Amino acid sequence: MISFRNLKKTFGTKEVLKGVSFDVHDGEVFFIIGASGVGKSVLIKHLIGLIAPDDGEIWLDGEEISRFDERRMYDVRKKCAMVFQHATLFDSLTCVENVALPLRKHKGLKPKEAAAEAMRRLAQVQMEEFAHRHPPELGDGMRKRVAIARALTMDPRYVLFDEPTTSLDPVSARRVDKLIRELSDTLGVTSIVVSHDLTSIFSIADRIVMLYRGEVRLLGTPDDFRRANDPIIDQFIHGRATGPMET
Amino acid sequence: MGSTSDSFAPAMSSNSEAVNATSGPIASMGASFLGIAETVGGMAMLFGRIVKRLASFSCDGPELWRNLHRMGVKSLPIVIVTALFTGAIMVIQASPIVERYGAQQLVGWAAGFGTLREIGPLLTALMISGRVGANNTAELGTMVVTEQVDALRALAIDPIEFLIAPRFIGIVVTLSLTTIYADALALVGAAYTGEILLGVEPTTFYHGLTGGLLGIGDVLHGLIKSVFFGVLMAVSSCYFGLTVRGGAPGVGRAVNATVVASAAGIFVLDYFISFLLG
Amino acid sequence: MSQDAALTSPERPSPSTQRVAALGALAIELARAGRDLYGVFVRTLFYTVRGRYERGAVLRQMYLMGNQSLFFLTVVMGFIGMILVLQGGLQAERIVPDPTLIGSTYLELLIRDLAASIGALMLATRVGAGIAAEIGSMVVTEQVDALRMCAADPIDYLIKPRFIASVVMTTVLIIWSATIATLTGMGTAYLFFEISPNIFFDLRLVDFGDLSVGLVKCLAYGAAIPIVSGYCGLSTYGGSEGVGWATTRAVVNSSLAVIMLNFFISGAAFLLIGA
Repeated sequence: MISFRNLKKTFGTKEVLKGVSFDVHDGEVFFIIGASGVGKSVLIKHLIGLIAPDDGEIWLDGEEISRFDERRMYDVRKKCAMVFQHATLFDSLTCVENVALPLRKHKGLKPKEAAAEAMRRLAQVQMEEFAHRHPPELGDGMRKRVAIARALTMDPRYVLFDEPTTSLDPVSARRVDKLIRELSDTLGVTSIVVSHDLTSIFSIADRIVMLYRGEVRLLGTPDDFRRANDPIIDQFIHGRATGPMET
Repeated sequence: MGSTSDSFAPAMSSNSEAVNATSGPIASMGASFLGIAETVGGMAMLFGRIVKRLASFSCDGPELWRNLHRMGVKSLPIVIVTALFTGAIMVIQASPIVERYGAQQLVGWAAGFGTLREIGPLLTALMISGRVGANNTAELGTMVVTEQVDALRALAIDPIEFLIAPRFIGIVVTLSLTTIYADALALVGAAYTGEILLGVEPTTFYHGLTGGLLGIGDVLHGLIKSVFFGVLMAVSSCYFGLTVRGGAPGVGRAVNATVVASAAGIFVLDYFISFLLG
Repeated sequence: MSQDAALTSPERPSPSTQRVAALGALAIELARAGRDLYGVFVRTLFYTVRGRYERGAVLRQMYLMGNQSLFFLTVVMGFIGMILVLQGGLQAERIVPDPTLIGSTYLELLIRDLAASIGALMLATRVGAGIAAEIGSMVVTEQVDALRMCAADPIDYLIKPRFIASVVMTTVLIIWSATIATLTGMGTAYLFFEISPNIFFDLRLVDFGDLSVGLVKCLAYGAAIPIVSGYCGLSTYGGSEGVGWATTRAVVNSSLAVIMLNFFISGAAFLLIGA
């Protein structure tokens, strides 16, 4: 289980997070939504120690991790994997080498074994045909799937997705949604998804938290959001250009 | 979000912007001084972290071979061209002096000491700084900007072990080996030019080289310099690459910074090593 | 390759053919780049004479160039002076015990070649990288395309002012470099070899030929650096990442240009002027 308690973060003069608190339950698909720049990515990067909070606590599996140094963070990162917004594969390695890298490093597999295991995992995301291509040669959707395969190599309990469908065409986006849902249903993985893709939000989310101006606006199920009597939430989930929301 | 840049650059950088806001030449000189001190400090810290990894042999094998291969291949053409031309230029410049004093016997010696002790290491370092050093910074900077370094950390892989240590060793080894190669080629260029312009026979040139005025000490003098230049270049290019801020224009600025820092540092180091080794 | 293989299998050139093809491709690439560069040079010259006049553009570039490079150049040339005199003196001691020649020989070499060439190499890195980064950024943000839409030639607007500024400032900066190197050389000679500044500062070996060769080099390097780096900047590709690569190419190619020009000018000087 993951808990954020009163998280605060300021960059320069801009207060991005003004005291955010919520819990994420095991095995669920949890969405963090809000307008661009509201601090969603900042929030999840705290979980794997890429950013440290100014104040507040982060609890993961019973440990308070916000003050961990890089060394101790390594153990956290093996439990909690992240798929970055731009897929962020290593351009100098082929797809199969990308996926094999954490296998080589953390499971101590020999290069051949790691490559074989990597191929198996690429097949799980239907990318085995492109195993020997380099990331710059592939489309966005394909890179995203390879990145997901790489994130899953450590068999993590938690996976963080930073805007997984943002730059994808509708078909690829729905494929990624399906993958995320399957992770939770078949493997019991807890997925935390940062998104502002309304279709994703209302098709696969178990629970949602909406951030607005650095604070939690609402925390609940998709139905709670649809029934909410809040003009800001209303404007966002119906995608209206005009309304009280500032972006 | 600049999180990786922050972990490699000292925390002072936000202050220098505040200082620049005040006008006046003294303030800006002071700011430049602070800037240089911050850079040197940051590079020293990075160097310390690299040494710690190397001391425990934690350097990614496949990445090391990949970098060695790439850097060697990249630098060969330019080193060949530069060395041959430079050897020729040296003889051309020395020729009036040679003709004035009739010192044809000494052409081999003069070319030898110039090349082995100074021109070889210096020029090779300068050219490699452009070819390999700037390239390295551009690559690392692009990786920082596209979050690839963050992705490494998220995979619980140490960026210093995986990215930096292989490049460090790669640059130092590449520079040392290419300096030897460049020395040889420069002497070939010099010998050839000496024959065409001054009518100095290759055998005379060769005798001038090996006659006893030059020794293994001169070769080592040059090699030691190469190693130091390589270390400086590696730390500088990795540091500026890792601390890139501000997206793609930041990468261009970082490349600019690393070539300047390497060039200046190479000359300063060269003087002190020459002075210390005699 | 046997007849059968040629008939039944798809074209696969042998390794030696592949190597020749690669060499050929390289040669064609070099020839194309050379032709493009020459084109840029000629057009820049044309615009220098017949192009549009923008108040203060050249002056601004001169100021930028001087500002950027002065400290850097001073430090480097200062150390060069010390290194050259130190090494030269150490070696000369081994064969010729007469110290009075050191100063005159050093000054002759400095003025004829070293101040210009080493100074230009440093400028190639500093100024060349700067020009390529600036112009490259403009290319990727489509400002250069916008210029072309207004029927303005990027070479006239972007390269010409830097070209004129560079030719002038390179000469000025190199004269400054020579001064610095002389001063530090003098200091080193005095401290290490006890040669008094009067004896060191001996201009008798410097003749008109040396001065003119040095000057020609200043002008040639000053012309080459902005042309080569401007060309690298204008041919930036690959999105915003390409700016980093363009800068790298500019540094390498400008430095190469300086070395090759040095070779040709020195060779020509030797053949025309002699000893």
